[in-house]
Amino acid sequence: MPTLPSLEEIKKEVIDSQIWRSVFRGGLWKDTPRDRSAHIIGNVWLHLHPVRIRKRALEWTYTWGLGGISFALYLILTITGVLLMFYYRPTIDLAYRDIKDLEFAITLGKLMRNMHRWAAQAMVVGVIAHMVSVFLRGAYKKPREFNWSVGVLLLTLTLFLSFTGYLLPWDQLAIWAVTVGTNMAGATPVLGNEGPLGNLVGAHINNDVRFVLLGGTMVGENTLLRFYVMHCVAVPLVVGILLILHFWRIRKDSFSAAPYEPNEEKWEVWPHLVKREYIAAAGCTLFMFVWSIVMNAPLEVIANPNVTPNPSKAPWYFVGLQELLVYFDPWIAGVVMPGLIIVGLMAIPFIDTNPKGVGYYAWKERKFANTGFMLGITMWFTLIAIGYWFRGPNFFWYWPWESWLIPKAAPRLTWNVFGPNPTWRLWCTPNLSAFPLWLGIPVVAGLGAASLLLPKLIQKELDGWKTNLAIVGALALVAAAMRISPLHVSLGQGAWLVAFGWMHFYFGFVMPQRHIRTLDWARYIVTMALVLSTTAVLLKMCARLAFDIKYLITIPGISMNI
Amino acid sequence: MSYRKLFYALNIAMMGSFIWSLWVDFFTEWRPYQNKYFAMAADVLEKEGKTAEAKKMRHQWPEIKQILNRDLDRIDRCTTCHVGMDEYVNPTLKNNFTQNPYKAHPNVVEINGKHPFQKYGCTVCHQGQGMGTTVAGAHGRVRNWEQPLLDGKMIQGACVRCHANFEHLKGTEVAAKGKQLFYAHGCQGCHAVRGVGGIISVDLQDIADKPLERIAGYNFKRVKYKGKELSEDDWTRVHWILGHIENDPMEVTPNDPEAKLNAEPIAPSGMPNFTENDATGKREISEEDAEAITTWLMSMSPETKIPHSYYVDAPVPPEPKLSGAAHGKLVFEKYGCAGCHGLHGSKGRRNFNAKGAGQDEKEPVKGMEKGREPTLVDVVGTYTHEELVKKIATGVKSVDIVKFNTGGPTPPLYMPSWKEKIKPDELNDLAAYLLSIAKKQDVGF
Amino acid sequence: MTDNAPTPAPVPQPAAPAPAAKPITRADFLWTGWAMLAAFFGASAAATARFMFPNVIYEPSQKFNAGPAKSYDLGVSIKFLSEQRVWIIRNEKGIYAMWARCTHLGCTPNWWGDQNRFKCPCHGSNYTIAGDVIAGPAPRPLWRCKVELSAKGDLIIDKAVLEDLPGKRELAPYFLEMA
Repeated sequence: MPTLPSLEEIKKEVIDSQIWRSVFRGGLWKDTPRDRSAHIIGNVWLHLHPVRIRKRALEWTYTWGLGGISFALYLILTITGVLLMFYYRPTIDLAYRDIKDLEFAITLGKLMRNMHRWAAQAMVVGVIAHMVSVFLRGAYKKPREFNWSVGVLLLTLTLFLSFTGYLLPWDQLAIWAVTVGTNMAGATPVLGNEGPLGNLVGAHINNDVRFVLLGGTMVGENTLLRFYVMHCVAVPLVVGILLILHFWRIRKDSFSAAPYEPNEEKWEVWPHLVKREYIAAAGCTLFMFVWSIVMNAPLEVIANPNVTPNPSKAPWYFVGLQELLVYFDPWIAGVVMPGLIIVGLMAIPFIDTNPKGVGYYAWKERKFANTGFMLGITMWFTLIAIGYWFRGPNFFWYWPWESWLIPKAAPRLTWNVFGPNPTWRLWCTPNLSAFPLWLGIPVVAGLGAASLLLPKLIQKELDGWKTNLAIVGALALVAAAMRISPLHVSLGQGAWLVAFGWMHFYFGFVMPQRHIRTLDWARYIVTMALVLSTTAVLLKMCARLAFDIKYLITIPGISMNI
Repeated sequence: MSYRKLFYALNIAMMGSFIWSLWVDFFTEWRPYQNKYFAMAADVLEKEGKTAEAKKMRHQWPEIKQILNRDLDRIDRCTTCHVGMDEYVNPTLKNNFTQNPYKAHPNVVEINGKHPFQKYGCTVCHQGQGMGTTVAGAHGRVRNWEQPLLDGKMIQGACVRCHANFEHLKGTEVAAKGKQLFYAHGCQGCHAVRGVGGIISVDLQDIADKPLERIAGYNFKRVKYKGKELSEDDWTRVHWILGHIENDPMEVTPNDPEAKLNAEPIAPSGMPNFTENDATGKREISEEDAEAITTWLMSMSPETKIPHSYYVDAPVPPEPKLSGAAHGKLVFEKYGCAGCHGLHGSKGRRNFNAKGAGQDEKEPVKGMEKGREPTLVDVVGTYTHEELVKKIATGVKSVDIVKFNTGGPTPPLYMPSWKEKIKPDELNDLAAYLLSIAKKQDVGF
Repeated sequence: MTDNAPTPAPVPQPAAPAPAAKPITRADFLWTGWAMLAAFFGASAAATARFMFPNVIYEPSQKFNAGPAKSYDLGVSIKFLSEQRVWIIRNEKGIYAMWARCTHLGCTPNWWGDQNRFKCPCHGSNYTIAGDVIAGPAPRPLWRCKVELSAKGDLIIDKAVLEDLPGKRELAPYFLEMA
């Protein structure tokens, strides 16, 4: 009887066969640098990597693997999403029932749905964290400007994917989040029937941008089908194309922005990077599994267009925008602000001319950029926290420890500063305007222009401490004067005035004056526009919360309210 | 930990979590119930000596069973656990098990004969979440399901949805009594049912299916059932309706009579307090009667949902031919006058902040609760027949009611104008009836 | 594998020789790690395959109630043809139910009463009233379904249980004897 070949011999035989060599292009693994390189080059998937990579870029603490984790989550979403598509029919009669089937009857259906839902949430967090980490390390600077912009688009599409997926279960959560979201589109200037200037071009409920998005005048059968196609086909396709671009650019731009050091060590990507990627992906998968087993995805009562849940809240990552809708008209909070955020983020690499701080955390070298960016991020998440935890029935302010079952007093009446039919009296004129438009338009325009231009025009750098003290003192004096005047503002209102006035002054004047007054005019104007729209949000919130001001200026004829 | 160890540990953990998820997915709540049924049924067969059939029964592979009711658009998986009611496992639909979910449907021959389970399914009568395969989910006692299982006699409400002739049926006595009580106490004076009745409060035509979110300011914390607070599982429509009859509605819907939350005061619910004692010292509507009324109201679902072939019509009985005061009494009951003026006009019910007897000016807040609708037996004697007819025909607007506390809310109840609803001859006889029950006044005409 | 060595760290390779004394050897551990990965992918594939088998389907039940057995007269009834794709046939001895699916390629044959045969419109197979092939390409007789009588006297037909062999198909449960 002939002896059986050992395992090693079989392995050798297989790897040396024509089929193996034809498919994998390598011979028996000898673990030489040449083999390792060949492994990367010869594999279409691994070829997105370079062959060798600097040691600095391999450290976990450098990227925290956030981009890779986001991509791993995207893969999990693709797999679970495709599986869910086998049991989901996008019609209003069947959609909700199919979700119930996934929950109650289909093998692993509940797990797949939970995983899809939670991975979507995790991916939103992952992509935002990836963006923050890239920003703080200055890794968007030359030559990576364009890839940053692609990344911002990918972030936007991630949110849009999540949002379109929100409608598919066809429950109350779904239909109302989408109703509110698409009504914001209806408030688009010119293109929306409820937006400023919309009536001038003949925008109606059945011919505007919202109509196209919904495929009707309300969220219905067409909307569900449209969102389904966007969610499953159209948007993932675009994301896929952009991802290829994003990855290819990373590869072309030598992977990490870490500053070069002389005689830097380079390690092979196989196995050193690949194994780290695997660990991150496996960790992600494990995390998603455990999360999805222990926690079920929410499913509310079936959608009912005649009944709005109270309170009705957007998906958490849009709750910040929803909170802004309390203070601003829909065309500002729902269209202009998101537009500014997206365009502003994409513009960052092109307006930031600071050559320092590429590839490492640099607080001192990039004070202005970091402060401005982190202010925006902090506001975004603060607004989310307020909208998510501090808003109760009727979207009233409820502290987290207060019962939602106890009704709140009706909100105070609001007033406008500039508008038609002025009363010439400050806040004893509910629902009316204090001052006329002919005064308001030049005053608002003048204030805006001054805020925009002064930091650059005043060339002498103002001393930090003294200036801040002076402005706080001045604001305190104004508050005190208002307190003893017939207006009789309270101490709390005075404190709000001082705090928010100072914030606007510091972030909107002192910081830009100190750091960007030397920029060329084009970059300066764009930067200032972004900075001022951020601080303007704070000012408007202060005006509403402390002084019941509804609009700074209102021109009802063209639905223009600010 | 080295990468290699991490690699192995993660792989093991991933596989572990996968097995965990398969475990969770496989060991569902319904599986043991079905297996237990098979075992119990097999034991019975073995005792009967049918060993081959017993073996087959015992070794059936459990599966989710469902009944598709396409006409009513329902999918009922109840027989997954209630296997004794599955015609294909238990062809006779009978067994001697006493315990749920194994026992057979009571009265099965009659019910399955008229409403074959395989055609009707379960939830069309019992409600609950037919697609559910967990105990809580299927019985609908979960937050996101608003049609929980109807308990006990409440199920008769479901019969009434199709059987318009329920007043003459066996098995729907409670609902029939509920309807009779509803009209006897004059509820229709304020609540219309499918457009017929008063306009002071909401039409009850869809109350059995009404989404809770549609009920403004609903708060189950203020509803007590048999003197106890409700558990969250019982925050259902049934208890919301019961809560209005078994509690003082003013406590269920207090609103804002002292203008603490709003600029203008808003009166509490104007619905009478049916827990008050009547002349005999009993509650006007007992707990049992309240359940009967609720049972009938649980049939109030929009009719369009029921296909024609399921609907059993009933002829409208002719009104008895009467005249004079005897006819007037019938008119009084038909239009629900008792709802505000009490049974036989004997006691005006509470009308928050209306000016009336026994109110102390020194207690502007407490006195508001003592506002009353007119007690007809006391006041109609001051009217002539013509005056009375005119008064009922025109009504009294709520702004014209004299308030007790001028800063307080407008009283919630008012006299509607009846000239569109009550026919002239009915009105004439109604006035005659009212004058006949009036206490004799000293004032002569 | 030490992580600091830039090159050449050995890639994971099972079956490193291990000291004999340890109860759980390094090799065992490595083997388990890789096996778990393989098992994870295998289990995922298996679970996906299982996922593709629906636990509930929205078709009419394979088993159905065809009403009182006594309501069927001699001959071929097409009462349940459109809903359940079944002919219910009564002859002198009893009742049987035939699945209206040509055994050639699955078209639905038509009943021609005047010629006393089923004819398939797709490729011309002909069957007798008993289901036997008398013309055309069909390889075997028409399938008969399981027929039972419920306690109430209703016909319970189960399309999941089939038989076509002469000899067997004339016996219970594929044939219901009726006086």
